[in-house]
Amino acid sequence: MQSKSRLNEPHNLPGTLVCVEGIDGSGKSTQLAILRDWLKSLKQDVIFTEWNSSDLISQTTKLAKKKNLLSPRTFSLLHAVDFADRLEQVIIPALKAGFIVLADRYVYTAFARDVARGVDRDWVRKVYGFAVKPDLTMYFRVSEDVSLERICSNRSPKFYEAGMDLKISADPYESYKIFQKRVNDEYKSMIDEYGLVEIDANDSIHAKQVFFREKVKEVLAQKGITL
Amino acid sequence: MAKYKSKHGYEGLLIVIEGTDGSGKSTQISRLKRWIEDQSYGAMVSEWKTSKFIADAINDAKDRNLLNATTFSLLYAADFADRLEQVIIPALKAGFVVILDRYVYTAYARDVVRGHNIEWLKNLYDYAPEPDMVFYLDVPVEILLKRIIGTTGLDYWESGRDIGLSSDFYKSFQIYQGKCLDEYQKMIKEYGFIPIDGTLSEKDIHKTIVSHVKNILKG
Repeated sequence: MQSKSRLNEPHNLPGTLVCVEGIDGSGKSTQLAILRDWLKSLKQDVIFTEWNSSDLISQTTKLAKKKNLLSPRTFSLLHAVDFADRLEQVIIPALKAGFIVLADRYVYTAFARDVARGVDRDWVRKVYGFAVKPDLTMYFRVSEDVSLERICSNRSPKFYEAGMDLKISADPYESYKIFQKRVNDEYKSMIDEYGLVEIDANDSIHAKQVFFREKVKEVLAQKGITL
Repeated sequence: MAKYKSKHGYEGLLIVIEGTDGSGKSTQISRLKRWIEDQSYGAMVSEWKTSKFIADAINDAKDRNLLNATTFSLLYAADFADRLEQVIIPALKAGFVVILDRYVYTAYARDVVRGHNIEWLKNLYDYAPEPDMVFYLDVPVEILLKRIIGTTGLDYWESGRDIGLSSDFYKSFQIYQGKCLDEYQKMIKEYGFIPIDGTLSEKDIHKTIVSHVKNILKG
């Protein structure tokens, strides 16, 4: 509906969009859950939304993953469908109603993962050109090794999270590290590109939450909300 | 196929038949396929929205009326990407004449009418190989209406009811398909469509199509 990407311009809606990004095992979901409870305790209107969860398509995507049937480009488009659905049904209405929207993963997940799978960098950014710009995006930085330790302490890496579809290595542990490093490299390049706020995932839960809240207070203050 | 050099670089040929619902595409496609096979070439047909996985999701979402303009576009794009990679390109590589019932132009027409920016759409489909020939079956909206009412009946989406043009089915179809036809008209020149009067007899249309296809088959 617009040629220029909305991702580079403020959304000008009353609400506030806060996103967390990072590879699995970076602790972002835990941090977002703690933040949510805190905001609710302060009587803020909060809603939560997560990646690949729309009623419209997530079942198709999951089924296709199970059967390893689709190419990176097709997957990329299916994730975009999921995102577009949630954006228009959940995120934008909530922003219009003045909510604080907490998103566990946002378009940057697609930019990182799809490009790590060989999808064209510019193409995928244009596909998501309809997305609104978050007020704050935290990038939880964790090394591939630590991520692997945390995620796979009691199970082996799953097919897609290990990037086994790319046939980088027959060893899922090895493949996981190579693939997630690529994803991390994409995230790092987006810190400047999109102004992601980096947070060291090795810090304590408390230290991370203190920093996170500071940043959230800053963006809310810009909207005239003091906590 | 020795002398003719395909536009996409694959050994096979890519022939597209475009037009709105009721323009007679399917009839012409089956006749063309038979004719190509009679010339001892391998031919295969691939239709819009027929990928194994995603077509079901689209139909389901349409039934439940869950789509907005953006998810509508993206789902069709996913269906196309899947079919292109799994069906169309392998067939082109193997040297088939691939006849496509609708191509990216269908998406451009419908999605522009649904309010999307054309540049965004072109990016969505920018990896699609350029067809060797595109036939456009041009039928005025009044005749389309008669044909559709007489066969399948008016469909919610084909009538553009999702974009709220009119609460009257007939009127909505008329406006929506009229807008789609306008988009097709604009594309004739840009993409070098071969326009064919879709109100001519089946046989005459077939003859015209074959006279063009001959040129690229024999070089």
